[in-house]
Order: sequence, then C-alpha cells, then structure tokens
Amino acid sequence: MILTGSEIYKEVMKGNIYLEPFSRDQLNPNTYNYRLGETLKKFTYFDGEKSIFSTIKIPNNGYLLSSGQMYLGQTMEIIGSKKYTTSLIGKSSLGRLGLFLQLSANLGHTGIKHQWTLELYAALPIIIYPKMIIGQVSFWTNYGDVSPYSGEYGKFSIPQESILFNHNAL
Amino acid sequence: MILTGTEIIRNFHLGKIKIDPFNESRATTNSYDLKLGNRFIIYKSKIIDPKQKPEYELIKASRRGILLNKGQFILGETKEKLGSDHFVPIVHAKSGVARMGLFVHVTADIIDIGSYGNSTLQLYATLPVKLYPDMDIAQVSFWVPKGKITLYEGKYQHSDGPQASKIWMSMKK
Repeated sequence: MILTGSEIYKEVMKGNIYLEPFSRDQLNPNTYNYRLGETLKKFTYFDGEKSIFSTIKIPNNGYLLSSGQMYLGQTMEIIGSKKYTTSLIGKSSLGRLGLFLQLSANLGHTGIKHQWTLELYAALPIIIYPKMIIGQVSFWTNYGDVSPYSGEYGKFSIPQESILFNHNAL
Repeated sequence: MILTGTEIIRNFHLGKIKIDPFNESRATTNSYDLKLGNRFIIYKSKIIDPKQKPEYELIKASRRGILLNKGQFILGETKEKLGSDHFVPIVHAKSGVARMGLFVHVTADIIDIGSYGNSTLQLYATLPVKLYPDMDIAQVSFWVPKGKITLYEGKYQHSDGPQASKIWMSMKK
C-alpha cells in the first residue's frame, strides 16, 4: 500500500521515515516533495570503459542543462526508511517541461538513508536552480520479512556515478 | 495493493473510480487502457526557465495524425478524464507504444488522489513515431492507500486538455 501524505507525516514524527530537513508544506496527497541539492555532475567523455563526469556547483542564478545530455544530481534532503520501500520520482510540473528525473530506477531499498543521486536528462534546454522543488518521494508498505540493503550506493550522499564497471571488470 | 481489472470495474460502478468515457471492455488484468486525445502542446521557448511562463502553441491533430521526430518532446492528453478519491492512479505506457521508442511520461507517473481531468502525457520520442488520435497510448492502474486521505486541490485540478507546466507560479517568490 502507498502511504497518504498524513500517514507520511505521522511516520516522520514516529521516526519510521527519515526526511531531513523536513517541512510539512512539502507534503502532497501521496508523496513528499524533495529539493535539488547544489552539486551536479556532468558527463564529459567516455574513456572506453566508463563515463567520466565533472563536478559543478549549481549557482544561485541557475544552471542551463543542455538537451539530450545526461547529468547526475542529488536530493538536498537525506531520505530513508527502515520500515517502508521508497519510490523516488519527479514532479509533473517539471516532467511537463521535458525534464526526466530518474531514468528508470525509481525504487529505493528499505533501510537506506542518504541524499539520493538523481539521474537528470533534459529533453528541452532547461534552467535548474539549487534548492528548487524538483521531485517527489512515495513510501510503500512491505510484505514479508525485511532484509537490510547491503548494496554499495547507499553510503553515498554526493551524486555517485555508476560503479557497475567494477563488477564487470572482474 | 494494486486493483485487478474486475475491482476497477466494480469500483467504477460504486463511483469510487471516475473514468469518462468508460467501457468495461477496456479494463485489462490490472489496469484500464487509455486513448490518446487530439490536443497537443508544443513549447516555443528556446530555453525553458521554470521561473518564467513558457511560450507554447496548442494544436489539434486530424485523423491523419502527427509525426514526432526522434528526440522531440510535446505534451498530449488522454481522451478520458479520470481520477479517484479512494485510490491512487498510476499512469503507464502501453508496452506496444514503449516498444516504438515512445515515452508517455518522463518522470511523474503518480496522479494525486482527488485529482480529476484529462491526464497530460509527456511524449518523448526516442525514434520517429507517428501518433493518431484515439490510439491506445497508456494504461492506468489503481493502488490502495494507507492512512487518512487528503484530496488534491492543486493547480492542475479539472484539467481540460493537455496542461503546460505551471511551475512558474510557485517559483516566482
């Protein structure tokens, strides 16, 4: 089941959902709005094995994303839950402007708590601003025993590019 | 929990799910099929700034359809108006459409509980795609919420036709 906004609020108060900083006016009927952190990584080149990203601090007067280009961003908030499964998606107001947020991996594992890495892809050239509301996160009840996440991305709070090639190189 | 097709039909007749026009034969195992409407929005602004109201053009497609070029992004609408005060709708592409390289939304698949209207489709073509009004384009599933329900009262309520982004209204401060 998907939690309603008032249930998200209750569970934040009980400590079962972690959203920091938290502001009640960012609650929606079924999700919580998160903001864009200030660190962005831009794809620069492919070295034959992996993509190389350069790090950018998004200025207060905005940063122009080029269309057809892939960027990594971060949530400003630390988001997580030991009780629920999270799903991190964008906002329709930005999707309507052609901004993809999370290309296809929206599922967050139970037990992870960090600033999430965002996969940004602009279908149209668009300006983004630090701290703007850029996406929303929903929380889902689990069915079955929860085994804690043991993956490698959960410890990162800066935008983290793929480390898949580390496995493939074995 | 996700509703089955028979539950979608049952809840439609109970008035807990609103879909207009509704036809029982369009319920699938776990969703309801949605058609493409004939109204589209094409942005005219060279650069999109969320702080500014975007310039756009509203066009109506004829039966001969419209061609989306590879990499083109436009807004469309579902022919149906839909919503629910009891379940959370989530919009998905029909796999037949996704297999043509077409995204029907680029990020936000959840519809707020309490929202009602034509759903705006965020159409992005990764290959050249021809679109026709009335074609099957998407499907909506309905999910059971947990907790006290607060209904949507946002800026896209009662959408009639595709709605361009209104983010500039909240970004202006």
